[in-house]
Amino acid sequence: MSIKLSDMKRINRLYPTLLGVLLIASAGSCNSNDDLGTQDIEIPGITFDGDIDCCSAEEALQVFRFLETVKIIPELSTVVDDKYKVFAYSRTGKFNVGYNDLYFVVTKKKNGNYVKNYEIKDLSPVMLMVKMNMKHSTPVSGPAQSFNDSYAAVKRAWVSFIMSSGESGSWTLGYNIEALGTKGGVEDADITVNPLPAGQDWVKSFKQGNDTYYISIVNPTDLKTGTNTLKAYVSRKSTPATTPYAIASESFRVDIDPRMPDMGNHTSPGNTPLTRQADGSYQGTVNLTMTGLWRIHFTVRDLQGNIVAGGDELKDGFSSLFWDVTL
Amino acid sequence: MLGTLLITSVIFTDADSIPFRTQNLDEVEIVSGTTPGRNRSVKGQAAGIDEHISVLRNVNMVRRGSYAWEPVVNNMQTERLSTTIDGMKIFYACTDKMDPVTSYVESGNLQSISLNSGLNGNPQATGNIGGSLDLRLRKAGFDAAPFHLNVLGGHEWNGHLQVYGADAALSGSRAYANLGAFRRDAGCYNTGGGSRLKFSQFHKINLFGNLGLKLTDNDILEGTVIFDRATDIGYPALNMDVATAQGLITSVSYRHLFKAASWETKAYYNHIIHIMDDTKRPDVAIHMDMPGDSRTTGLYSLLVTSVAAHDIALNYDLYYNRLFADMTMYPGGAAPMYMVTWPDVGTLNTGLALTDDICITSRQNLHLSAKLAWQQQRLNNEEGYNAQKVFFPMMKDYYHQTTGRVAAVYQFSILNSQFSIGSGWGSRAPTVTEAYGYYLNNTYDQYDYIGNPTLKNESAIELNASADSQFPILNSQFSIGADANIFLFKNYIIGHFEQRLSAMTVGAEGVKVYGNLDHATIANLSLTAGLEGRFLQLDGKVSYSSGRDNQGDALPLIAPIAWQTHLDLAKGSWSGQIEVKGNGRQRVWGIKYGETASARWAILNLSAQYRYRYLSVRAGVENLLDKFYATYADWNDIPQKGRNVYVNLTIEI
Repeated sequence: MSIKLSDMKRINRLYPTLLGVLLIASAGSCNSNDDLGTQDIEIPGITFDGDIDCCSAEEALQVFRFLETVKIIPELSTVVDDKYKVFAYSRTGKFNVGYNDLYFVVTKKKNGNYVKNYEIKDLSPVMLMVKMNMKHSTPVSGPAQSFNDSYAAVKRAWVSFIMSSGESGSWTLGYNIEALGTKGGVEDADITVNPLPAGQDWVKSFKQGNDTYYISIVNPTDLKTGTNTLKAYVSRKSTPATTPYAIASESFRVDIDPRMPDMGNHTSPGNTPLTRQADGSYQGTVNLTMTGLWRIHFTVRDLQGNIVAGGDELKDGFSSLFWDVTL
Repeated sequence: MLGTLLITSVIFTDADSIPFRTQNLDEVEIVSGTTPGRNRSVKGQAAGIDEHISVLRNVNMVRRGSYAWEPVVNNMQTERLSTTIDGMKIFYACTDKMDPVTSYVESGNLQSISLNSGLNGNPQATGNIGGSLDLRLRKAGFDAAPFHLNVLGGHEWNGHLQVYGADAALSGSRAYANLGAFRRDAGCYNTGGGSRLKFSQFHKINLFGNLGLKLTDNDILEGTVIFDRATDIGYPALNMDVATAQGLITSVSYRHLFKAASWETKAYYNHIIHIMDDTKRPDVAIHMDMPGDSRTTGLYSLLVTSVAAHDIALNYDLYYNRLFADMTMYPGGAAPMYMVTWPDVGTLNTGLALTDDICITSRQNLHLSAKLAWQQQRLNNEEGYNAQKVFFPMMKDYYHQTTGRVAAVYQFSILNSQFSIGSGWGSRAPTVTEAYGYYLNNTYDQYDYIGNPTLKNESAIELNASADSQFPILNSQFSIGADANIFLFKNYIIGHFEQRLSAMTVGAEGVKVYGNLDHATIANLSLTAGLEGRFLQLDGKVSYSSGRDNQGDALPLIAPIAWQTHLDLAKGSWSGQIEVKGNGRQRVWGIKYGETASARWAILNLSAQYRYRYLSVRAGVENLLDKFYATYADWNDIPQKGRNVYVNLTIEI
């Protein structure tokens, strides 16, 4: 399998580091009008045998490079029917309280190449609270989905943990997979959910009537000084509580008021409420004037503007609902 | 790099040989000497640079402590002035203006300080609506005394200010050199009445060297290095002090002399590092680090020539300045908070200036000057750029401005009187602080200031006139004079309170964003009278100033009525001076801009000088009556020194 060098140049600009990938210039002679030449792609562990279920060399290279930016979670790897291997990754290889991205790839055992079409669903995190002998789940996404066209073979799902593992309880996580008609999965793998460091608080709950909702911010670690898009999901607690909490079907508006408690509750101008997008997420704009601890107070309203939660201005004169983000 | 600049540059001269005769020029002499009629500090060479500048007409000093005063000319501060060192651009590195660039030289480095009032700037000046200061470096020159040694020492009892210094000059027909080293140390001073003003100390060392080589009879190569480092500087008017303020100033110049012209091209580089320090303050809410860094590389090429009745100077200059400052705050236990306060702004500025002094007749003179400058600014720090975008979402990271000035002064004399009238127009680009400063706390009005990248250039029309007359009375000469100027501003830049924004600094009143006022006016009037006898000279001066914004409200930091009178006595090697000076009560002040009124004050100073061969002694008492006072320009009303006795010795060989 060979691709043109011009394409390789483009790729190289996107990903200046290239580890573990060998580029071997072909020995073929070059036309004097065409100094591009051709090159072969080799990725360790992958044999490009023209299997149409799997990625082309170029696609595989993109996947390979993406996977270099994330870390594997060994507890969630599995083998399906001795034909497919499933690998799960997160940014750090660990879980923390609050929102966590989960990335999946499936490879064929025979050629090591990434399978293009598969389905991962029924993400089921459960916490066993030892003392109370109680179980509950936590907010999750629906089935994993491709999120970037250049490496569509990687699929993403998410879990937002509302508590950390510890004395009070322990977490398990499972999921189901179907690859090319073959089913399998991971059942109740033990996982560890780490608490967030001081100055970080990314998931909060609120009630409307008898329903409990969780609102998780998606991109707290991407926030920088300046203007940021703040993204969140609102999930509704299920009955029974062991059923994973799906994205709430109700729509809200979330007004935000970012403050710096260490700077006399300094705030910034131009923040806009989080509103529900077509994909079910909530997005708004948060402006952060410097690094440090930002307490993003928020007030949940219904679409008529009535306060659902927060906005009570209890503590410090600001809404008692808030996320903490430390830049 | 320097070599390339030298070869490719185009202009030149012996600036010293062409006197600027304009009425708007004022100069203070720093080297000792006996040239009569020259301005000079009564403290002599040992006086600090700020004291030398204070001698200039139309100048006041904003004082935030004992050190690094900010010159104010025609009631305009740094942003409306140009300060150059031998024509070299240099920019301060402190976001809080704790280091006017004049603080990076020492009196001993200088020959003189010249001030062009108003728009009639020196050729290298840009943005000089209020005036331009040029600090002229001390150079031995060729064919001067082969060896000259100058040793000075001084002590001031109030604050135990000690000054030591020595500089040597070697001169020959093909080469000259100057070398000098100076040191100043001051503790905290006592205010009138005797109480100690905490955090008013400073320490400074300064080294300088000049070298001149005559390559041929008409080709001269000169170089300068100044290293200046002040440490442990207290700023009683502010919330923090300065750990280090360090300047390195270097230049190489090449001069070619023609028959009736001189062409000088100078390449220069200077670097200022400024580090604030709040660790010695007892009640710091949040400890913070606030370093600033300013680097300027530039060149100018100046051709000076005389053609018939014209003395012409043509100057091209180019500089690139890089300004960066940031702030890290450390709340106890929590994550540090970081912000970029000057977003690494690179300013590339280039300009062409022409001055023409036309001697119409022996009693009439016309001085013309013009400059056109263009600059581009780029915000090189992305974090700082993104932060300011919060306030100005449409802002770019790249701006450019074109500024210019033209001025004319016509002087003529009739009988015993000299008259001068002048007019000019000039504009300036916003400063980095005004355009891109980020949450800069101003302790004067207790607001945080945010720069506005969309500011328009500020411009002003200046009108000035002066008259002086001398009349002989008995054996004495009586003189009276009047001097007036008015600046009519368009798009005057000043901070505007922005209610929607939240202060950052703990304790700040709110946030101000720089904006343009449609118009504003600053006017100055001074009247002088003098009587000169054989051994004595009596001078008196009173000045009045007014500054109004577009709504007729008072601008801040405009001097109240100020007066001074001094009697100079001189006989043989002795001379003495009695000076009484003061300010009237501030009747109009910038309430709208956070100013508070200053009370009237008056002080009495005595000084005496004695010169014997190589030795000269200067001694005196400042504020003899130990009055407790603060001037309108004392930042946050910090009191001035109480009674201060000083003795300065200079030995010249």
